[in-house]
Amino acid sequence: MDIVLQQLVNGLTLGSVYGLIAIGYTMVYGIIGMINFAHGDVYMVSAYITAIALALLTFFGIESFPIILVGTLFLTVAVTGAYGWVIERIAYRPLRSSSRLSVLISAIGMSLILQNYVQLSQGANQQGVPTLLTGALRFHVGDGFVQITYMKLLILFISILGMGVLTYVIQKTKLGRMCRATQQDRKMASILGIDTDKVISTVFVIGAVMAALAGVLVTLDYGAFDFYVGFIIGIKAFTAAVLGGIGSLPGAMLGGLILGLSEALFAGLISSDYKDVFSFSLLVLILIIRPSGLLGKPEVEKV
Amino acid sequence: MSQAVGINFKKSSIDALIAGFMALVLFGPIVGVVLDGYGFNTEFVRVAWMVAAVAVGRFIMSSFFQTEKGIAMAFRYANNDEGVEVLKPGHKSKMVWIIPLVIAIGLLVPFIASKYVLTVVILGLIYVLLGLGLNIVVGLAGLLDLGFVGFYAIGAYGLALGYENLGLGFWSMLPIAALMAAVAGAILGFPVLRMHGDYLAIVTLGFGEIIRLILTNWASFTHGPNGVSAPLPTFFGLEFKRRSSDGQTFHEFFNIPYDSAYKYMFIYIVLFAVVWAVLFIKHRLVKMPIGRAWEALREDEIACRSLGLNHVLVKLSAFMLGASTGGLAGVFFATYQGFVNPSSFTFFESALILAIVVLGGMGSTLGVVIAAFCLTVLPEVLREFAEYRVLMFGILMVVMMIWKPRGIVRVTRTGFAARKGVVK
Amino acid sequence: MSNAVVRKTLISLAIASAATLAQADVVIGVAGPHTGAYAAFGEQLWKGAEKAAADINAAGGVNGEMIKLVKADDACEPKQAVSVANRLVDSDGALAVVGHFCSSSSIPASKIYEEAGVIMVTPASTNPTLTDQGLPNVFRVCGRDDQQGDVAASYIVDKLKAKRVAVIHDKDTYGKGLADAMKSTLNSYGVKEVMYEGLTRGEKDFNALITKIRSVDADVVYFGGLHSEAGPLVRQLREQGSKAIFISGDGIVSDEFVSVAGSPKYVDGVLMTFGAPPTSYPSGKKVIQEFRDGGYEPEGYTLYSYTAMQVAVAALANNNLDPIKGAKWLKTHSVDTVMGKKDFDDKGDLTVSDYVMYEWDAQGKYHVVE
Repeated sequence: MDIVLQQLVNGLTLGSVYGLIAIGYTMVYGIIGMINFAHGDVYMVSAYITAIALALLTFFGIESFPIILVGTLFLTVAVTGAYGWVIERIAYRPLRSSSRLSVLISAIGMSLILQNYVQLSQGANQQGVPTLLTGALRFHVGDGFVQITYMKLLILFISILGMGVLTYVIQKTKLGRMCRATQQDRKMASILGIDTDKVISTVFVIGAVMAALAGVLVTLDYGAFDFYVGFIIGIKAFTAAVLGGIGSLPGAMLGGLILGLSEALFAGLISSDYKDVFSFSLLVLILIIRPSGLLGKPEVEKV
Repeated sequence: MSQAVGINFKKSSIDALIAGFMALVLFGPIVGVVLDGYGFNTEFVRVAWMVAAVAVGRFIMSSFFQTEKGIAMAFRYANNDEGVEVLKPGHKSKMVWIIPLVIAIGLLVPFIASKYVLTVVILGLIYVLLGLGLNIVVGLAGLLDLGFVGFYAIGAYGLALGYENLGLGFWSMLPIAALMAAVAGAILGFPVLRMHGDYLAIVTLGFGEIIRLILTNWASFTHGPNGVSAPLPTFFGLEFKRRSSDGQTFHEFFNIPYDSAYKYMFIYIVLFAVVWAVLFIKHRLVKMPIGRAWEALREDEIACRSLGLNHVLVKLSAFMLGASTGGLAGVFFATYQGFVNPSSFTFFESALILAIVVLGGMGSTLGVVIAAFCLTVLPEVLREFAEYRVLMFGILMVVMMIWKPRGIVRVTRTGFAARKGVVK
Repeated sequence: MSNAVVRKTLISLAIASAATLAQADVVIGVAGPHTGAYAAFGEQLWKGAEKAAADINAAGGVNGEMIKLVKADDACEPKQAVSVANRLVDSDGALAVVGHFCSSSSIPASKIYEEAGVIMVTPASTNPTLTDQGLPNVFRVCGRDDQQGDVAASYIVDKLKAKRVAVIHDKDTYGKGLADAMKSTLNSYGVKEVMYEGLTRGEKDFNALITKIRSVDADVVYFGGLHSEAGPLVRQLREQGSKAIFISGDGIVSDEFVSVAGSPKYVDGVLMTFGAPPTSYPSGKKVIQEFRDGGYEPEGYTLYSYTAMQVAVAALANNNLDPIKGAKWLKTHSVDTVMGKKDFDDKGDLTVSDYVMYEWDAQGKYHVVE
């Protein structure tokens, strides 16, 4: 019993991380219909910036955990957001009017550039950050116990907060309306006076910021990363975004949670060798039943 | 005319300042602060150089785009999104002369090239096959397939495992592997072809990953990450080894000294023939009703269905044909390398094949051939750059896409003229 | 148009190869993952080989000829390993190769070196298949996975007297090979593992796997893999409150293991098998000191790479630069290296396995278990 509960907790925390990164994919897809393959590597860059910010803050003698956390979050979000903006400006904007596949290839090239740029400047070795927050909540169930570390609680809390703020921004603010208008009909929106280029840039920055949030939290929690870390988590997050219905914000979170839970439960109860086979099969199955993902709007076939 | 006319240096300077500031924000932490354990070392000099380079580059670019030449260039870029180029009816392709020339040169290559060059060219031809296969699926039928490497893996492992378990050699596995890959294409294609665009992409990506994961995990059959060795092709039963376990070897039979280059020459010649055969078949198919159906379905699915095309069958045929070509490429890859393991069939490989198709110009056969050679020869040429190799490769990919978003070779089509005496 | 592109490339390649052939130096390739996910190990290989070559050149070179190193990048992909091996033997005219790193690259490349009659000395590929192929020119200066697995298994059974052993691997040639070797020796001692599973390289969240380890109540966790996964694994193991003893192989020999684990307290008590310490050899001490003076910590495979270079050079120097004779010579002669005297058996493996058990302490350093 305790084992199953523990696996549920493991899956939930893993899933919330996938969800945070999936938002970047889903927003960019929603607005310009491209798969941003460099997104996983933006996450990777944010992991490096987290470690650098931590090292700088400790160098200047700051010890208290809340200040370090806030400082690191602020620095990482700012710099990663800048990366998101510049990547869009350099690699995607010149291809705005081209076929979506050209942008896809450009994104793959960008992903190679980011990986190798970070490797060349930071070295290829494994990096780590010191553990800052230890300890866990433990509940006794039967003979065993179920635990959730404080760091994991923080991840859950900040993901929910980030999601909430983002949903508010998209649904209620002027910026959100502009985003939604651009998403529905870019040409019409620009005729009505919306600077669509600016909106698209903003969406890339928002996506990068969400990846940076995940980057800070995951780096502080797992402590280990290298320049290649964006690849696997990027593919997983992309899968999550599609599972939930690409283009849908709650879908990204839901997809992340389902993916995380299915991985944890399958690995924990059956075999970790085939857990990825299981998650991909689940994805195929869900898409066969619901071809637009769980919360995605079914595509209207226009004549 | 003086160049300086019309250049607003104030604007250029502001642009350069902004670019420099962005460069500082981007490069400052990653390039300037190098992590060392939990501490760090600073490398501010290289940040300064990079920021200066970006600012100067931006200044020059900004100034250039204010000149007449620059404005004209920017205009050309903004308007390079034209569709298929339609040639005049009765257009005579220069290919009639070029093709025999290419064949003649191609046949000379194994005898003049060194072994290293030959291996690079073989790899190039394998990617030509892969590109042609994926071109049917993505370029002609318009189905985005991110898991093409799965069929490639089926071909490669088909040869290696077929030899190990059933004793089947290169020649028997060549058709069987193509068939196996086609069947796999059908199995995958049947349920998923209802999906649209990017959902199809992720499902095929999943399929490619599933194949690779099974190859990694099913160790009792596939030997997992240790890989399997694959046999060499035989020349009418003669082996290309230094010493044969049974029977005669190639060099003993012809009484020539042993040279390891013979096997590459032989693989090259067979592969060369297969590539031409595939090229020919594809060329014919495009002009046949099925090829027309693929392209029509890509352009407007609803219209095609209204006209009575069976969209599932048409898509499925594209999928299976593409897959079988991928399987063929896999067999050649396995025999060329003499060894296969799952690390050759990652998602990156799928992305590379897709890059070949897109870079070549979707649907263009000639473009695919050129792009396949570019993308396989390029990393070898870039070896001079040592650790900057992959970075350069990535930069070239982005630059090529921005420079030629429609690919290297634009798709052309011969137009039709109305026949006299028929409806005008 | 297509033939023009191809022709130009061919011509430039031909010119490039002619230029390298024109030099009279002794060319030795250093093949490994200089880019890609394993680039950290490629750097260790290169640093070791570079220093060895510089030292040998400073001492007069190989029979008066200078060593010229060629950096050959395979990114640990078999496909690239084949083309880079062909390039080394063909265009660069290498007489010997130090490398490759990954066993999955070494195995296909070894066949090309054998055909070309080039000596191959790998500092790091521990997979038994490599030398079991029976190629005359392949040597390794590291141990074999099965030797390493033996040391670990007998330690688990004899010293720890453990009954419940969980075996985890990273599904890679090295990690799985090591875990399998350990498992089969363990089984031959009559101990059956309670769990045998693989994790995915590159992932960092192993909580599901660890909860499972907790549920089978293992008292020893054996991990075949590298420090990049071992660090998070051992950290999450401790975070979930498991006290199981963590044992691994030479894949975690790196100070990065501590920083990746998050804190020295997590690696405290971790055991690992690794070759006898190079510092125990007088010649090794001097080289290590020189490395440190140059601002580089020679960890992991750096000294193995240095040793591999010495072995290759010794074979060439004593046989008038004839690699085929050199390979025969190596099987009957021993070579003095920074890591002591090395003898090779008929397969090209070291005759003496020098694996010993190390333990990490709470300061994040490792030392031999007495």
